[in-house]
Amino acid sequence: MTPIPTMPPAPRRHLSTWLLVAGLLALVIASFASLPLQFSEFFTAAAWSTMAEFLGGFAPPETATPFLLKTFNATLETLSMSALGTLLAVIAGLAMALPAAGKFGAAPRAATRAVLNVLRSIPELVWASLMLVAAGLGPFGGTMALAFHTSGVLGRLFADALENAEPLPQQTLLTNGAAALPAFFYATFQQTLPQMLSYTLYRWENNIRAAAVLGVVGAGGLGQMLKYHLSLFQMQDAATVILAMLLLVALVDAISFMLRRALTR
Amino acid sequence: MLELRDLRKSYNGRAVLHGLSHKFAAGEFVAIMGESGVGKSTLLNLIAGLDAPDSGEVVVDGQPMAGLDDDAATRLRRTRMGFIFQAFHVLPHLTLAQNIALPLLLNHQGIARASEMLDAVGLAGRGADFPRQLSGGEMQRVAIARALVHRPALVLADEPTGNLDPETADTILALLRREIKATGAAAIMVTHSHAAAAQADKILVLSHSGLHLLPKNHVEV
Repeated sequence: MTPIPTMPPAPRRHLSTWLLVAGLLALVIASFASLPLQFSEFFTAAAWSTMAEFLGGFAPPETATPFLLKTFNATLETLSMSALGTLLAVIAGLAMALPAAGKFGAAPRAATRAVLNVLRSIPELVWASLMLVAAGLGPFGGTMALAFHTSGVLGRLFADALENAEPLPQQTLLTNGAAALPAFFYATFQQTLPQMLSYTLYRWENNIRAAAVLGVVGAGGLGQMLKYHLSLFQMQDAATVILAMLLLVALVDAISFMLRRALTR
Repeated sequence: MLELRDLRKSYNGRAVLHGLSHKFAAGEFVAIMGESGVGKSTLLNLIAGLDAPDSGEVVVDGQPMAGLDDDAATRLRRTRMGFIFQAFHVLPHLTLAQNIALPLLLNHQGIARASEMLDAVGLAGRGADFPRQLSGGEMQRVAIARALVHRPALVLADEPTGNLDPETADTILALLRREIKATGAAAIMVTHSHAAAAQADKILVLSHSGLHLLPKNHVEV
């Protein structure tokens, strides 16, 4: 009679696991202890009253036609910065994704991945500061900042998608007598295209938000308007700009969501 | 149509093919049987030019494969050969019609015949479906249609019924034979299945001493 196999014993918890958990707990406690977190002051009536007064200053938002037109133009500028920055990033990302996916050997793969790491490790705000020094104030610097950072992100994501693509379709085409380039485009690229488009749309959403923030450091668009009006305590004007930002982000989120759902259906 | 001249091939110092010679006639459907590891799939890869022999020659239509550069070998596969695999190798992101039309597109030919082949393999009206909607047998029908759509001179099939139940396998083999004969192509089918081999005009057994003809009445189905 075949003996009934027993379950293997549960893995033993090593001392190092307990030490790691204790270390993490100690770090959390030390963080709370070292920071001057004044929760009690935050929840006082005076704090809430000041907050309400500050927020009350935003109402009602400015609705004069000339100001709305100015905001509309800034909105278009932010939208253009994000779209152009994303488009440039897609082109650069695709160009770097091929070597980064090991299509030209191990050495180009390692070198391109190192470049992509540098590009995406530097945040958009730092890129924007560098670009402002090089290209001056305005949307050009902001667009280039978005393009540099996003090409690092998209290049890596595209390369991973290409590496993870099922190799059999491309192999099948090569066996059937397709040349290397058509085999890549018919099989691997077609397989990964919906994923790449989905990544691109998602990054475009992110870049809309980033473009609004970049304006604060002088890169044009809604962010620059927001910084200007906040620094002059023109809260009602600032409220209109913030509402425009919210509407723009919501609109692009909705469009992107619908497109991504259509692509992955 | 196809001639093997003293083919030898080793992997990691282990000889797989030991001086194999044989002539295949045009329009002939040949099954190759043999034990696992004897070199059946290696032989198909050598015939297709996907791998090179250590010595010896594969001659297709009087042209030695060794004399062809990569581009010419690719062109020869594209125009003169069709392939059927055990795991179907149907492209998942293309429709059935697009899958079948691929060899025509690669050869810059009109794609009208893809529709004819879809009908011929019993999948009429399903050209817009995707492979995920098919059973294994249906996928192999698509693979057969794709292998024959561009009227190749030689079809290479590697265990075409290996992933199918016996009943579906019988249907697929009958279809394969009918379509091969309809297009006039020669076919070499590697198989472990006696039932599959029985569909061929001729059965050869591959062993370390070469390819030997097996009388068809020796095959137990």
